[in-house]
Amino acid sequence: MSKIIQLGNRLRYPITVVKLLKSPGDAIKKQEALIRYSFKWMKEVGDTIRGETWEEEQTTFADWDSPADGDLKKWLIKEGDVIGKDAPCMLVQEACPHSVQYQGLCALCGKDMTEVNWAAEARDTERAPISMVHDQTNLTVSQGQAQRTEQDLQRRLLSQRKLSLVVDLDQTIIHACIDPTVGEWQNDPTNPNHESVKAVRAFQLEDGPRSVARGCWYYIKMRPGLEEFLQRISELYELHVYTMGTRAYAEHVAEIVDPDQKLFGNRVISRDENGNVYAKSLQRLFPVSTNMVLIIDDRSDVWPQNRDNLIKVSPYDFFKGIGDINSGFLPKRQDLLSSDATAANAANGTAGPADQKAQAAAEVAAADKASPLVALASVGEGEDADLTQKGIEEQERDLERQIKDRPLQLLQEKLDKEDEEAEKASTQSEEGEARRSSSPPHTRHRVLLDDDQELFCLQDHLIDVHKTYYEEYDRKRGTLEVDPSAVPDVGQVLGTLKSQALDGVVILLTGIIPTNIDVYRSEIGVQLMSFGAELRTTVTRDLTHVVVNSQRPWTQKLRRAARYPHIKIVNQNWLVACFTRWEVADETPFMFHVEPATPASDTVATINNGGDTETEVVSEEDEAEPSEKPQPRKILRLKRPTLKLVSATGESRVLADDGESDESDDVEALLPDDIADGQLSPIDGLKTFNWGSADDELNEFLASGSDDDDDDDEEDDEDDDMEDDDEVEGDTAETGSEGSKEGIENEQSTPSRKRKRNAKAGGEESDTGTDSELASASETASASKKLRKTKSSRGTTSLRNQYELKEADADSNNNINTSSLPTPQVTGDEDDVSLLKQQQAVGEGDGFDDIDEAELMAEFEAEFEAVEAEQQAAAHPQGGDQEKG
Amino acid sequence: MFFLHNLERRVTLHPSYFGRNMHDLVTTKLVKDVEGTCAGDYYIIAIMDTFDVSEGRILPGSGLAEFTVGYRAVVWRPFKGEVVDAIAYSVNPHGFFAQAGPLRLFVSSHLMPDEIQYDANATPPQFTNNADMVIEPGTHVRVKIIGLRTEVGEMWAIGSINGDFLGCLQA
Repeated sequence: MSKIIQLGNRLRYPITVVKLLKSPGDAIKKQEALIRYSFKWMKEVGDTIRGETWEEEQTTFADWDSPADGDLKKWLIKEGDVIGKDAPCMLVQEACPHSVQYQGLCALCGKDMTEVNWAAEARDTERAPISMVHDQTNLTVSQGQAQRTEQDLQRRLLSQRKLSLVVDLDQTIIHACIDPTVGEWQNDPTNPNHESVKAVRAFQLEDGPRSVARGCWYYIKMRPGLEEFLQRISELYELHVYTMGTRAYAEHVAEIVDPDQKLFGNRVISRDENGNVYAKSLQRLFPVSTNMVLIIDDRSDVWPQNRDNLIKVSPYDFFKGIGDINSGFLPKRQDLLSSDATAANAANGTAGPADQKAQAAAEVAAADKASPLVALASVGEGEDADLTQKGIEEQERDLERQIKDRPLQLLQEKLDKEDEEAEKASTQSEEGEARRSSSPPHTRHRVLLDDDQELFCLQDHLIDVHKTYYEEYDRKRGTLEVDPSAVPDVGQVLGTLKSQALDGVVILLTGIIPTNIDVYRSEIGVQLMSFGAELRTTVTRDLTHVVVNSQRPWTQKLRRAARYPHIKIVNQNWLVACFTRWEVADETPFMFHVEPATPASDTVATINNGGDTETEVVSEEDEAEPSEKPQPRKILRLKRPTLKLVSATGESRVLADDGESDESDDVEALLPDDIADGQLSPIDGLKTFNWGSADDELNEFLASGSDDDDDDDEEDDEDDDMEDDDEVEGDTAETGSEGSKEGIENEQSTPSRKRKRNAKAGGEESDTGTDSELASASETASASKKLRKTKSSRGTTSLRNQYELKEADADSNNNINTSSLPTPQVTGDEDDVSLLKQQQAVGEGDGFDDIDEAELMAEFEAEFEAVEAEQQAAAHPQGGDQEKG
Repeated sequence: MFFLHNLERRVTLHPSYFGRNMHDLVTTKLVKDVEGTCAGDYYIIAIMDTFDVSEGRILPGSGLAEFTVGYRAVVWRPFKGEVVDAIAYSVNPHGFFAQAGPLRLFVSSHLMPDEIQYDANATPPQFTNNADMVIEPGTHVRVKIIGLRTEVGEMWAIGSINGDFLGCLQA
């Protein structure tokens, strides 16, 4: 293989080739002079001391030395050439391409690659930058070598009609924990969990983490059906293990899963070889082409570059509340559909670390992490050893906690207690108990349930993908036996297959994704779209499904959606089922029971979880009632009847609803929601925005403000405009505030409590000046439209905006520091009876805000005094000094 | 190649060990510290004996006693071109890794006879000529060292089995 050698850019161009010292066919060695050349330069000559200097042109001769070993094939320059810049000069047959290197040694010729040589511009170690071996990081290969190896692999796979499958361990095919309780249960046949943990395998790690966790037992539960799954799949796929656990851990698990090394062989890669503790990358194993590689993993955020090839499986959570013991480094997962009511309830109930590890934690974590990828990126920048160390420590802490606190035991104790209570109660209530914990009655007294079905579906999907892939390949390759150039991209095949799964389904998510996250970018959103479903952020007529969070039901969106009888309202388990089965799952077991809201008592949400046989077929009549009933309750304003009138007709009703649902988002989502559906992001609209016209407008505005002459007139005009605007906006905003009020009323259900709170609010009013001002301001707002023009009412507006923000915070149960601005719809003034109530409600809800203000005042005063005192003190000694002086 | 080499080392002893059998302790400590380490371009395999233990000198400030010990040790220095026996421990498409005592070797697929090919379908994957030569983890191989590199406390080598009498060792 001959290589073209460049002159390099360290020469003083332009140069003139004087003589070629070697002729083609000669053997050349590194640092041997090959070319004699000359160059001209200006030299400063004369007497520098007197300053009598001038520049003289000098010609210097120099040798150019060979940067490579081998045989000279051909000169690309000739004697007498003038070369102006870096250019190729010769063709060399290299003695060794150094394409495989081991620890700085060329594995082909044995030379030390780390030697730095002045003749060569680049280091030899850079010639083999790719690490692609599973169990070693110190063996690197060149691009060409990697390509060859991969081609060999593809040929082999094609001839065997296989694909590559990269398999994650934790929570994908197994679930691991180190809680010693498992071992005790295994040895105790009387324990209700004995049956479940019988098949759990265990091993010890010698080089495990230090301190408490050292020498502890790792308990490994294989996902149900794993053996058959791997057996069947290994006929169609070549399996690789890719885990975030350590090498020793990975090998132990591989030995349990695959004792004969028939399935995985030596294709095991762990955290130790990955080179990155935050992300996995297919390029680590397949640096050239990932066209024939699929991934199964329970986390998609660790595969930032290989989403296309990923089949995300629902995490296997056998040891409830334990999570992934090897994910200490990773950002907390936010894509969890905290579905299992048992686990969630139990985890919420147990005090201590079980909480932190359980799904409940995921929600909190999700709230302060905008996106796992963003988190990844920031983590990556933060670099590196420090954070890694932190991650290791955190993981160790988690493990220690698991050993000490025994979360499983806690869960079981809690469950036992519930059982006892249930026994005491009548049989009927026992049934209720069973239903509430969403587990079949005969297993309700166990924490560990082994009812996972994921692998059976996954097997079918993998077989499907394989079949489709090779059908396409056969079509492309024609008559050739093996044709690597006809290899289709499995990512595309997978994409097409997946996108048919939920085709035609239009989904609205409510209460599932934290409000500060763009639903189109969220994990669940992306996944839904990859399955071909359409996402909506507002309630529209073409919706087919509304997915609600059964833990946090009764959002505004749900209320609105409930009016349409054809929209199926399901809980989040339905999503899980769809993702697992790759089809529109039967909604019946996941139906969310919408109970009609009565005006007298506030709405009661009944969660109808999976497992319950009571089906809720939503008929037109049934649905009409609950949809109409909340409406009259809302009517507190004159404007309302018109809206209702309009809503009687089909078309305009949708329009009205659109407007409303926008506001409903103000209540529960802080994103500006005037995005057209299907658009990816709120800022996408800005791409087509005419900035020029905006600039013009701004300039005009600035110019108009600068001349003082007709200032008054303009102000009047402006005021008039304002009034009009206010009227319009008030109409829309008023409904929004009603909606929010409703939401709040929902929370504070009992009237007595409310009265108490009112009283409390009153007390606060009298306490703080600012608060009373506020109240009066809002009264002004409700009094008359004329008064609204006054500046005080405008002040109210801004204040109110703040309140609405806070309220939204409170509503969503997340303490988010929102950076987003309030949505435009609510900026208008509104005069409304409900407004006052709302403000009171807000004041009650976030009473501490008012207290805060009072406190702030007090603090400020105290500080002011302190500063004054300090100044005095500072002045005093100064005076003393002066006296002394 | 193995050598008998005379070496010298300073051994420090904690004051709590001062006493009658101090010299034994010094020897023990020396053996513990030195045996099995890589000292530049050779490995110290075993210490034969100590022939000269100097008088102890108290180090100012710490109270530790320092002995200068002359000792005789068996050292192993691998040379370029040397033929060593090793045990393969990891096989991949680019070649295989083997261990000759403390030294880790890599044998690239380019430095094998042409008839030896990588077989990924075997369990575990192996290099084989489909006859008597099968190289998989655990196989004893005879390797010629063609390149060596040392760093502090570590050595690596590149091996070749392309040559007469190199390759698999038949038990």
